[in-house]
Amino acid sequence: MNITKSISAIEISGRFDAHEATSFRETIEQELTTSSNIRLSLAEVEFVDSTALAELVRAMKKCREQGGDLILSEVSGPVAVILELTKLDAAFTIE
Amino acid sequence: MSTATDPQLDSLVGALVEANDQLLALYELASLSVDTLDEATAVVQILARAHKLLKTDSLALLSDPIHLVGDSEVFGPLLTANDAESLEHLRISTRGWDTVSVPTGWTITMVAITAGEPLALVAARKSKPFGTADRKLLNAVAKLLASVINTAQLHTEALEQAVIGRDHLIASELAQRALPESTPQVPGVDVFARSDPAHTSGGDLYAWSVVDGVLHFVMGDVAGKGLPAAITMTNVISAANASFRLSGSDGPAAILASMDEWLCESLSEREVFVTMLVGSYDPELARLRVANAGHSPVLYVSDGDVMDIAAHHPPVGVLPIEELLETTLTVSDGDVFLAGSDGLTEQQDASGAMFGDDRVVGLASAGCGLSAVDLGTRIFNEVESFAKSASQSDDRTLVCLTFGKST
Repeated sequence: MNITKSISAIEISGRFDAHEATSFRETIEQELTTSSNIRLSLAEVEFVDSTALAELVRAMKKCREQGGDLILSEVSGPVAVILELTKLDAAFTIE
Repeated sequence: MSTATDPQLDSLVGALVEANDQLLALYELASLSVDTLDEATAVVQILARAHKLLKTDSLALLSDPIHLVGDSEVFGPLLTANDAESLEHLRISTRGWDTVSVPTGWTITMVAITAGEPLALVAARKSKPFGTADRKLLNAVAKLLASVINTAQLHTEALEQAVIGRDHLIASELAQRALPESTPQVPGVDVFARSDPAHTSGGDLYAWSVVDGVLHFVMGDVAGKGLPAAITMTNVISAANASFRLSGSDGPAAILASMDEWLCESLSEREVFVTMLVGSYDPELARLRVANAGHSPVLYVSDGDVMDIAAHHPPVGVLPIEELLETTLTVSDGDVFLAGSDGLTEQQDASGAMFGDDRVVGLASAGCGLSAVDLGTRIFNEVESFAKSASQSDDRTLVCLTFGKST
């Protein structure tokens, strides 16, 4: 028997703040209908504010509630600093 | 004079009189001061005058509730005790009026009205069929009704919005009042605290309490903006005040853990988190202990050297706090402790550049020797001056402690 876990991939770029939160949430909700594992590439993200961080946490919890995970990948320098400052790097799966 | 022309003359005079009557009725209709009437009264008055104008036997506005003037015979079979049900029945019927059973001798004409939702004005007459002029008049009445209904709906919506706005304002002001108005008086420490919400209310907070001579304080930032964040902020302050009493003797890590226990589940349900810094200053021991849950910037300045107090935990509401972690500092005269919100460091100028952590660090470093009020005010002024014409994008909050025997 082969068990395959499908992983959705999302890439975001530019500023990730309160203005982008709604569309990000909608994208995550859409992805969660097909997969509970989401890989989120943050390589091109220049800035995240606290509202965006709250959206990332929400997405992480939704994925975990469904038995999956939100994986942050290729985390850009500015985002890495924020994750470290807030200690959220301890809460997320980062690769 | 030929008598043969009398019937023609009578007919002409009759038409002129009728036209004159119609003009007078139309004048009355047009001069009806609907602005001063409520929607229902205005509709009834317009229908009554249109009824007279059109010489209808029955005139109905198909709305909820249905308004009817004159003889209800023609509409009777379509009406039930329930207006909404009747309206639906009539709406279905009026899509194909020909299919409705019209009593013998009646003529019916109908015009659609669009005023938020589709309505229809239906006129019925026994005496003679409706002509082109009647239909034009009926259209004019329909347009007047649509205008009245639209105006009334806009007025109602504006009123509702005003009530919501007023309630929102009151709730926002009440939430902001949860912040303490005066600073604590503890030997050896001077305290400054200020919060400027970006809107009427915000999610930034501070609170303190002196228990057994020890100053316990918290500074936090609820993720999100506006009234929802402000309401969460008041919950956090309540949890802080309770935790100061319950766990203060065990220090800030225990206070933080206690607050986490109170708040984590509800914050998680609301899908928000709170970055939070908890501190306890014991003047007897000249000791400051701090526990940091995801908050930044948190700085301690001693002899001009600035130490960044890193977070011990993620923000409250993300994951339950399982370890009691804190940083202990021995304070000396002139030392400064400072905790700000991201609304200060992330304030942008007109070009989009941010104020940044470095400027705050520089101001903190240069501020040794100043009173807490002078240092705090200077930082706010610098951020304000940096922003210039750029609008405040987030709540700006600062808690500043300066230590010294003279304070």
